[in-house]
Amino acid sequence: MSDRFFYDADREKKNAARAKALQALLIEKGVITSKTVDTVLGYFETKMGPFNGAKAVAKAWVDPAYRERLVADTPAAIAELDFPEGMAGAEGEHMKAVANGDGVHNLIICTLCSCYPWPVLGLPPYWYKDPTFRSRAAREPRAVLKEFGLDVPADVEIKVWDSSAQIRWFVVPERPEGTEGMSEEQLAALVTPESMMGVAVAKAA
Amino acid sequence: MKLQHTLGGLEGLGPVWTETRVFVEEWEKGIFGIHTAMMALSPQLPLPETSSVFKTVWTWADLRKGAESMNPFDYFKYRYYEKWLGGISGYFVANGYITADELEAKTAEYLTDPDKPLPEGGAPEIDARIVQYLVDGDSPKRDVDPKPAFAVGDTVLIKNVPTVEHTRLPGFLRNKTGVVTEVYPGAYVYLTDTGADGIGDAIEKAMPVYCVKFDPADLWPGNAESNFSLYADLYAAYVAEPVPAAAAA
Repeated sequence: MSDRFFYDADREKKNAARAKALQALLIEKGVITSKTVDTVLGYFETKMGPFNGAKAVAKAWVDPAYRERLVADTPAAIAELDFPEGMAGAEGEHMKAVANGDGVHNLIICTLCSCYPWPVLGLPPYWYKDPTFRSRAAREPRAVLKEFGLDVPADVEIKVWDSSAQIRWFVVPERPEGTEGMSEEQLAALVTPESMMGVAVAKAA
Repeated sequence: MKLQHTLGGLEGLGPVWTETRVFVEEWEKGIFGIHTAMMALSPQLPLPETSSVFKTVWTWADLRKGAESMNPFDYFKYRYYEKWLGGISGYFVANGYITADELEAKTAEYLTDPDKPLPEGGAPEIDARIVQYLVDGDSPKRDVDPKPAFAVGDTVLIKNVPTVEHTRLPGFLRNKTGVVTEVYPGAYVYLTDTGADGIGDAIEKAMPVYCVKFDPADLWPGNAESNFSLYADLYAAYVAEPVPAAAAA
């Protein structure tokens, strides 16, 4: 994607120096503190992240009634689980889950920016933020998914959800075959952010 | 109309980037942290006052407006967090928190000595407020009777509103018809007033939001894949009664 434009040879060095300079000035001026950036990043390592979404999906896999509740009233179903506070916090005020299966595959996109359900998925990976993905997934999702290595059969309907207002969407992928007898914890380890956004499916290790 | 408002469906872009990392350069973490802090310290939020000197409004809308106002070639040229770095640095200069000269001088220092430590300091209450923002969020839902004009199953026409600076209406849906699949309970505001575009933060602009289903064959006739549907969440300001067939003829 980078061969169309000329970039400065020092591009990343300069970006890094500029970002650090901005942070330093904001600390000096009293806008933020020297711990602010680490506080924010630490929050996404421990409180808000795909580890939460994976737990909810694993629970839905072992408990069909929970799966129904997760889709019907996502915030209430999330609140049932033992999560940190803030599961209806920033970028999770209005979350909604859609479930794969019964001939349907769901794909979440944001054609205007990069809206993403922070409490259950953390921060968006680069593929989700890429303008090429955001453009093409709206018109040719099968071709796009193929580039991610996912073949969605022609007889499976793809539902593409464009996150253009308050809802932050995520996908409950299907439980992979060959996982009978696995614990919820083992199952959660199979759930990737990509499978909860619909560019991948969950696989048995 | 800006290209950035109508990305959906563009052709000729080549393969997607399947990068699964959130940050591809270490410095990107810093600008993300700064942006989140700005949102949390923004004075319109009902959070405890702190000693931070940040006293101007900063929301997602400000970040989005910056990206939407870029030259489209630059929009595609620069990586996600490069756009943030440009927009956020510009904001701090434009609002007088720092000067362009200070930023250049400090950047030169870190170019010469990238490992030079950051300064120390700042009151813990500032970071406490930032965590509180992450926990509380900033819901756009307002306690107002939404009086939705449309119900599930209604066919609706998407308006071609006069967007200038910013919008939450994807451009490829303008003048298209779709079917309402959900009327979200309650009424919703948006982070900032978009003028004639129609949405905003004032309580008078709290309105229903609909989930509308579109047939890709209507959006891109003869040029969309089959057996898929596109759903978009749309503020009521963007949704209208379809023109009767007789009037349209």
